[in-house]
Amino acid sequence: MRTILCYGDSNTHGQIPGGTPLDRYTLLQRWPGVLARELGKGWHIIEEGLSGRTTVHDDPIEGALKNGRTYLRPCLMSHAPLDLVIIMLGTNDLKARFGQPASEVAMGIGCLIHDIKELSPGPDGTVPEIMVVSPPPMLDDIKEWENIFKSAQQKSHELALQFEIMSDSLEVHFFDAGSVSTCDPLDGFHINAQAHENLGVALAREVEAIGWK
Amino acid sequence: MRFAPPNPLRIADRASGLNAVSVRSYNERLVLSLLLQNSSTTRLEIGEQTGLSAQTVSVLVRSLEQEGLVAKGEAQKGRVGPPTVPLTLNPEGAYSIGISVGNRHTDIVLIDFVGKIRFHKTLPNPQLAHGSNHSEFLETIASAVKLLPDAERERLAGVGLALPRRLSGGMDEEAYFKALQAEIEEQLGIAVFVQNDITAAASGESMFGAAKTLSDYMFFYLGADLHGRLVLNHQIYNGNSEVSFDVGIAALERDLSAQGKEVDPLWDRSGSWPDYGALVSDWEERLIAQMRASLHGVGQFVEIETVILSSYAPESICRDICRKLEAAAPQIKAIAGNIVPAPKAIGAASLPFSSRFMVSGN
Repeated sequence: MRTILCYGDSNTHGQIPGGTPLDRYTLLQRWPGVLARELGKGWHIIEEGLSGRTTVHDDPIEGALKNGRTYLRPCLMSHAPLDLVIIMLGTNDLKARFGQPASEVAMGIGCLIHDIKELSPGPDGTVPEIMVVSPPPMLDDIKEWENIFKSAQQKSHELALQFEIMSDSLEVHFFDAGSVSTCDPLDGFHINAQAHENLGVALAREVEAIGWK
Repeated sequence: MRFAPPNPLRIADRASGLNAVSVRSYNERLVLSLLLQNSSTTRLEIGEQTGLSAQTVSVLVRSLEQEGLVAKGEAQKGRVGPPTVPLTLNPEGAYSIGISVGNRHTDIVLIDFVGKIRFHKTLPNPQLAHGSNHSEFLETIASAVKLLPDAERERLAGVGLALPRRLSGGMDEEAYFKALQAEIEEQLGIAVFVQNDITAAASGESMFGAAKTLSDYMFFYLGADLHGRLVLNHQIYNGNSEVSFDVGIAALERDLSAQGKEVDPLWDRSGSWPDYGALVSDWEERLIAQMRASLHGVGQFVEIETVILSSYAPESICRDICRKLEAAAPQIKAIAGNIVPAPKAIGAASLPFSSRFMVSGN
């Protein structure tokens, strides 16, 4: 049995576009569920999505608990041994309150990769496979979120390239979710059921392509 | 822990053309070498053969995919364990031009990344000029470059020029080739790789042809003369000795002329000769005797099990010679080369690929 941890934000949690964190797609609709269905027997998929999760920031408004870095280590320890950790974060780092360029968000992802490597929660204490997934770019119209994400739209288009540079530099797997899915017009930064389906299927193919012994 | 900005070297260069030679990493060359040797492989196999981690292979393959050099196939399901995804070279990923100056003609080919001929032309030989290393080479090369559609020109890996020893006119071959290469490159702005024609033919056979899976063998090229090259551990030994024997097609031509037979078909690329009967058998006997003598000489130092015979002569003739050689020397396996119709030109075209994409020794 191989184990995959899907570590993300509201788009891993399955938050329905235009809704609140309590409005959620069903387990089988969310991309980790689709991934589990596609990979089939022999794979255990752990879904770990939290709305508002950042890469490395304590959120001054939503709270320190949104910091993806502080929760990652206990989470890895809980679920070790892990064969693969998929990280899909970044959108929340673009909130105006953090004032980060896309390249800094990628640096945050880099911290998480370093943390995973350092902890080595893979089989027999090895470094697990790590896959960075860049979120699909935000749409221009993000409704009542405009002020929270002031000028984030442009930066969200740069995430894929910056994440890929970081992934190449640290030699981990990379996938651009924007290549198979888009955000839903209802709020402009959440993905709908179809996008979850597309992403889950595409990631299953990427996971298989890793080349498992 | 390192929190410096990441090094964007590998992927920041997203031009649609080919990356500069100097930035291609050793590991990328390793992956491309494996793909050139095997028509299809998987990331798992690459990892096993190179000792690189799955994540490192993933980064390399992604960068090669983005550059269009490597293509991903459909996942193969149905075996035990997860499906495997085959990787192949993308035939349209790179092109190369090969020019070979022969006894009578110059062959020009344009090949794709898997060695398939896209264009082939046969021209009269260029004439050498005084005061320069070349004269009509430039026109020949320019006409070859024009064979390539505009859209694909930026994917041209370079031009390979295969020259016979006699063109160096007694000069040191290596110095002559270097000077010629520099002169053409300066005027044309395209990477030009020059090599001895027989060595080039061996390298073509080793990259795309019958010798693809062989690491040690004796290579014979049957042209106007018979030439030999020793290949050990994938390395073609390009020695300085005058290794050619007057038992080639020129010798057959003399026999046929003496009998008043028509000899022109010997030199064309049509792949068939008229039935010359016993004259050909007699010539083949002498040819095989010479090949055996060469093998005997080499055999004092290296055990040779395989012979590759490459030629633009008809395949049926080459197979016949191989059969007879095997009959005369049972310990030898003789294989006719399968790079037709211009093995030296295709060999020349393999030079830019091996220089730009492969690790040396493969």
